[in-house]
Amino acid sequence: MARMKFLCDAERCIECNGCVTACKQEHDIPWGVNRRRVVTLNDGVPGEKSISVACMHCSDAPCMAVCPVDCFYQTSEGVVLHDKDLCIGCGYCFYACPFGAPQFPQDGAFGLRGKMDKCTFCAGGPEADNSAAEFKKYGRNRLAEGKLPACAEMCATKALLGGDSDVISDIYRNRVLKRGKGSEVWGWGTAYGKPEKQPAAQPGAKS
Amino acid sequence: MRDNLGMRRLMRWCAVLCIVLLPQFSWAAETSSANEQAQRQTTQPGNNAPVWRDVRGGDNLYQTTQVRGIETDVLVQSGGETWRQIRNGPITVYGGWLLVVITLLIGLFYGVKGQIKLHDKPTGRLMQRFTPWDRVVHWSTAISFMILALTGMVTLFGKYILLPVFGYTLFSWLAILSKNLHNFVGPLFAVCTVLLFFTFVRDNIPKAHDWLWMKKAGGLLSGEHVPSDRFNAGEKIWFWFGVTLLGIVASITGFILDFANFGQGRLLMQQANVIHGIAAVLFVPMALAHIYIGTLGTEGSYTSMRTGSVDETWAKEHHEYWYNDAKTRQGHAPGGAPSAAVAAAMKEGWK
Repeated sequence: MARMKFLCDAERCIECNGCVTACKQEHDIPWGVNRRRVVTLNDGVPGEKSISVACMHCSDAPCMAVCPVDCFYQTSEGVVLHDKDLCIGCGYCFYACPFGAPQFPQDGAFGLRGKMDKCTFCAGGPEADNSAAEFKKYGRNRLAEGKLPACAEMCATKALLGGDSDVISDIYRNRVLKRGKGSEVWGWGTAYGKPEKQPAAQPGAKS
Repeated sequence: MRDNLGMRRLMRWCAVLCIVLLPQFSWAAETSSANEQAQRQTTQPGNNAPVWRDVRGGDNLYQTTQVRGIETDVLVQSGGETWRQIRNGPITVYGGWLLVVITLLIGLFYGVKGQIKLHDKPTGRLMQRFTPWDRVVHWSTAISFMILALTGMVTLFGKYILLPVFGYTLFSWLAILSKNLHNFVGPLFAVCTVLLFFTFVRDNIPKAHDWLWMKKAGGLLSGEHVPSDRFNAGEKIWFWFGVTLLGIVASITGFILDFANFGQGRLLMQQANVIHGIAAVLFVPMALAHIYIGTLGTEGSYTSMRTGSVDETWAKEHHEYWYNDAKTRQGHAPGGAPSAAVAAAMKEGWK
C-alpha cells in the first residue's frame, strides 16, 4: 500500500496561496478555518523561501497520542483522520501539533472551540465515502474518487506535491539532481563532525 | 568520600535537569541564526541545521504568512512534542499511580486504625464551630472541587480506564460533559478559593504549638491527645499548600487554558497545562486525605461542617485550645467587663 505524504519544494513555491484557496473551495471550509497556509521564511530578505504547510500526516502523530477520546485514526495509506462525532473540542491536538494543523471554528472562551477541523489529505472521514454527511463534516473525499489532494493538483509551479511517498520523492529527487542544488534539504552529504578532520586513510575505523 | 560521591551525583542530576528542561522551555533564546548558518556553511557546506533551528524557534521577524490568526506564521512549533512527552508520560503515569497508592494507603489506615472515636461521652451541649457563611463557602469550594477533580480525571485517565469499558460513543459523551463542566465550574472554583482563603486565613496562621502537633503527627498514629487551635497543623498544611497554593496555581493555569480567545500562544498553554496537571495530581491526593479525615476517619467531624455545631466533648478532644478560648469568651458577661475570675472558675470546672 502506498504511503501518502505531502512534499513542498521551497525552490518552486511562489507564495501564490493557490493551494490555500483550492483547499477552501474544494471542501467548502468556513471562515476562520485554514487547513493549509503558506509560510514565508526570511520574507523580503534576498533568498526568501516559501513553504506550504498543512497536516503532515505524521507516522507517530502527536495529535493521536494526546487526544483524550482517541478520535484519530490512521488509514492504511498513512493518512491521519479524525471522527468529529467523537471530538470534544478540547484543543489538545492543537497544543501537540508542530505544524499548527488543527483548526477550530470557535474562539475558545470557556474552552468552547467547536469540533476540530484539519486537512484530511482529501480523504474525508469515517462516514461512507462521498456521502453528504461526510462532505458536510470533512469536505470532499478525492482519494475515494481516485484523485489526489486538491492543493497539490492545483499548484501552478508544482511546488506542492501530494501522493504516494515513493512517487513524489522520486520526482523531487530528480529535481534536486537536475538543478544541482537543494540536496541539503535531504541532509545528503552531511554527517556528524567536520569533514576535513575525518581520517581518510582508515575506512571503517572508529574515531 | 561518600559525601563527595553523593554531591557529585546530585550535581549530575542538576546538570541532567538543566539539559532536559532548558531547551524545552526556552526555545525563544535562539539567537542570530544567520551568523550561525554562515559559520556552519564554512565547515559543513549543505548543513542547514541553524536555519531550521531558527524556524523552530519561531521568533524570526521575517517569517510571515497571509493567513490571519494566532501563530499562523510559525512553521514548526517544537514545544508540543515536549508537552506530549510530559503529559502522556510522568503526569499520567506517576500522577495516576500516586492517586492509586494514596487511596490504598488511606484504605489501609482505615483498616488498621479504624475511625477515631470520642473518648468521653458527648455532653449534649453544642458549640458553634462553623458559621453559615463558613459552611456555604466550604461546600461551594468542595463541590466545585469534586466536579473538577472527577472531570479532570476523566480527561487525563479516561482514555485508558473508561474508554475500553464504555466504548467510543458513550465515552465521548461523557468527555464532552466533563470538558464543559470542567471549563465552566473552573472559574467558579477560583472565586470560591479566594473567598475560602479570606474566610479561614485568620485561624490558619501557624502558631508555636503547631510544631508540637506536627512532631506528634497529631496523635494520629499514637492515639495520644495533642491540643490544637480552631484548626490543627494538619488542617493548616492543607489550607496553605492545598487550598491556597495549589488552588491558586491550578486556577491561574486553568484560566490560561480556559480562555484561548485572548490569543495566548501554544507554548504558554503547553506550559500551563503541564503545571495544571502537576498541581492537580498533587491536589487530589491531599483532598482525599482531607475528605477521609473529615468524614470516615473522625467521628463527628463531618457533622461539624454539615450542621456547623460540635459537641463540647468533641471540641475538647480535638481542638482543646479553641475550646478553651471559646469557653473563656462565653464566660464574659455580654456588655460587661470580662471577668477573669468567672472564666478561671469555669475552666477549673471543666478540668
